[in-house]
Amino acid sequence: MISRLRILVLVAFRNLFAHWVRTIFVGSIIVFGATLLVVGSAFMASIDKGMSAGVIGSLGGHLQVYSSQGKDEFSLFGGSMMGAPDIGRIDDFSKLRKVAEGVDGVKAILPMGIDMATATSPGELERALGELRTAVRDEDAVAIPALRTRIRDILAQLEDELTKNAQIVADKERIEEGLGVVREARTEAFWSRFDTSPLSALEFLDTRVAPFTEEGRMMYFRYVGTDLEAYPKYFDRFEVVEGEVVPPGHRGFMFNHRFREERVKHFVARNFDKLRQAVVDKGESIAKDPALSSRVRKMSKQYRRITYQLTAAEAETLKAELTKFLGEEGSLDQLLESFLTITDDNLLDRFDFFYATVAPKIDLYDFDVGDTITLRGFTRSGFLKSVNVKIYGVFQFKGLESSDVAGGHNVVDLLTFRELYGLMTAEKKKELAGIREEVGLEDVSAADAEAELFGEDTAIVEAVDATDGFDEFAGVDLQSERDRMASIENAVFDKTQQDRGLALNSAIILEDPEAIAPMQAKLTKAIDEAGLELRVVDWRTAAGIVGQFIGGLWALLLVATIITFLVALIVIITSLVIATMERTTEIGTMRAIGAQRSTVLLMFVLEAMLLGILAGLVGMAIGSGIIFYLGSVGVPAPKPEMTFLFGGPRLYPQLSGVGMVFSFFVVFVVSLLSTIVPAILVTRIQPIMAMRAKE
Amino acid sequence: MPNIVELAQVSKTYPLGNLEVRALDGVDLAIEKGEFTTIAGPSGSGKTTLLNLVGCIDIASEGTVRIDGQSTAQMSESALTNLRLDKLGFIFQSFNLISVLNLHQNVEFPLLLQGGLTKGERDQRVRNIVEKVGLADYLHHRPNELSGGQRQRVAIARALVTEPAIVLADEPTANLDSGTGKAIIDLMKDLNRVEQTTFIFSTHDPSVMAQATRIVRLVDGRIADDGLGETRPEAHA
Repeated sequence: MISRLRILVLVAFRNLFAHWVRTIFVGSIIVFGATLLVVGSAFMASIDKGMSAGVIGSLGGHLQVYSSQGKDEFSLFGGSMMGAPDIGRIDDFSKLRKVAEGVDGVKAILPMGIDMATATSPGELERALGELRTAVRDEDAVAIPALRTRIRDILAQLEDELTKNAQIVADKERIEEGLGVVREARTEAFWSRFDTSPLSALEFLDTRVAPFTEEGRMMYFRYVGTDLEAYPKYFDRFEVVEGEVVPPGHRGFMFNHRFREERVKHFVARNFDKLRQAVVDKGESIAKDPALSSRVRKMSKQYRRITYQLTAAEAETLKAELTKFLGEEGSLDQLLESFLTITDDNLLDRFDFFYATVAPKIDLYDFDVGDTITLRGFTRSGFLKSVNVKIYGVFQFKGLESSDVAGGHNVVDLLTFRELYGLMTAEKKKELAGIREEVGLEDVSAADAEAELFGEDTAIVEAVDATDGFDEFAGVDLQSERDRMASIENAVFDKTQQDRGLALNSAIILEDPEAIAPMQAKLTKAIDEAGLELRVVDWRTAAGIVGQFIGGLWALLLVATIITFLVALIVIITSLVIATMERTTEIGTMRAIGAQRSTVLLMFVLEAMLLGILAGLVGMAIGSGIIFYLGSVGVPAPKPEMTFLFGGPRLYPQLSGVGMVFSFFVVFVVSLLSTIVPAILVTRIQPIMAMRAKE
Repeated sequence: MPNIVELAQVSKTYPLGNLEVRALDGVDLAIEKGEFTTIAGPSGSGKTTLLNLVGCIDIASEGTVRIDGQSTAQMSESALTNLRLDKLGFIFQSFNLISVLNLHQNVEFPLLLQGGLTKGERDQRVRNIVEKVGLADYLHHRPNELSGGQRQRVAIARALVTEPAIVLADEPTANLDSGTGKAIIDLMKDLNRVEQTTFIFSTHDPSVMAQATRIVRLVDGRIADDGLGETRPEAHA
């Protein structure tokens, strides 16, 4: 049997050699297909791995749990629609924790709430006033005079600006009013009043003058409220780049580094960064790219954003430095405008000068670590809700630094999230009860609402003449309000408080990262048994559209593979059919001299299989070579958005064992399938055919 | 001597369009072991059909064919194949060697199909028979490296290597020049004499015919004449 097989293999081999043109042609297609499969599957597996590491390690965890009562699909990174989707909520997270922690294999469970919030960056005056207020509170004898000088400089510039505006703005009255208060604030008398009663002077500046300054920028961003003690522990992509993680039990906010660079950074600095990135990293040209040159034109007009932040002394110094650097004379405004007129040639020098000389004199970010930020969120009932929280630090997701998907998420403690989301905390409930008491609010039932509201004598309590200089702050104790806010900022909460309450979703970290599917089933069962109306999804599903993207890529590879192998199949079948017809005499002869049908069939199958497997192996070897090479040098993400899929700036594809086995299997099956038609023909060849040969 | 081949009232008809062609018509023929028989006749007389029936590569429409006492009528295709492998040897007009195999492998091929012999035994058999056909120096040549006569010798060796009871040859010299053809017939005759192998071959070449010990003449599918050849042993005796 073995020797018979050997001679058949030999015949098959020799036939492949004898018809080398055909062999090479068919072989090449299979080589291509196998290479495509190996490279494709390695890429896909690596992207899958990179992305899974990115998603799991940044926000997703292995599994996500959320309410089964929501109307919209849950999506960790936001869906395609704007606005907050209704994903339902987990009303009491502690119940879920109890169930999840009872399931073997769960390493950790974290409550989460992902939502949108806004924050407005303070204007220059506001910022200086804030610092002055702190200095006054701390009785900082050094800082107070410096800040006074800075505020007076800002006021001088403001007066200048308002005077100019008065000539072009229609609402002259309002400008006149502004000029009035600004001029008053610039008087010596005002600052003597500051010396005796600083808080009331600050109040005036805050409430009367500040509204006339340029408004700060509003930022709209996503944030994740979570257990900030556990989060850095279980999400390995989380990395602090500045400041610290919010301490356990504290309210606090952390900026995502990318978000801060893109949205919170000083306008001019941000433009320098973008220009440098475009010209140096991407090789674009300011002269040739209209978008870049427009950016430069806009940037050169933004010198005020620098001068506003300078004290008189700093302005003098900078003027001297710029005069020397540029070799030009002029006012600081002129010099800065000239300095900010960037070209491809001067970009790098000016970039360096900006960061070395200008940046230390200004606030590079609207918010710094240690500042307090006022987050505003729309509650579920549509009210705007504000919460002040301290910024403890800046973090990034390792490897995903340039990804907007990952870079757009800032983090906040869970209690702050709940407040922004619009859920009452105990302290809020108490506060509200106090207000109700104070204003004499009563509950009115719908049935007798009319009688309650209009039935009695409705005496007007107090007539107020609206023109009579109404002061909204009259009678409000601003200091105690500030103290209340500060008490919230500094409030410490315990774990129970964090656990017993709302979360929108929950991330589950598993002991065994490979056991996602079985653990999903186990958790679903446990949750159902506990009667919680929650559903468990894997990270891929939770990643929403991002997760589906990889499914799309797989489908694309599959289609390409199917097409390639379909072509291969047709070509192989055709060539084998031709080969069969050419070899009718030979096969007839073999049959005549005693070869069974099965023997000649085996010979043909062997031939197709040998070709398929050899070409498949060559293709797999080539594919492996390509992957080894790419795996060592890495494939750069073609676009920043791709870093998320690549799990980092470069993808280092690795051979996938499953992919190799799959490739071999596909080649094997295709080879086998390709022999079916020829095999039918072969077995129909009668021994009598041997007699028909004529040379 | 027992009959190695027996045909009784054998007819073979082929459909040809709407017509039916009767290639053999009620043939009775018995061939004894060790005969050196030629089937003679003009083209279309049924020579090849007769050989195909004896060679079990075609089935009679009527009548019975017995090979070494076994009737082939009821045999399965697989059994017929085994019968061909074990009892019959074939020599074709166009030699029909397997082009990708060398001489040794071509000759060894039927032994491999049979199985049962060790490699040493097979090699011994192949060498013996190749020596007998005078190609011992060409063991590793491929068919395309051999002349027509040499190729036919390889075919003879292949037919004989399994030591069959009957060797069938369909116009074995048709594609050879007369000198080579004669040499091939001489070789076959020699083997017939020495090995006592039964040879049945078809030809329409009178000089080849003359070498046979028995000449069966076919005309229109019938045996017109069944006589002794010039070289029948008795004639020499």
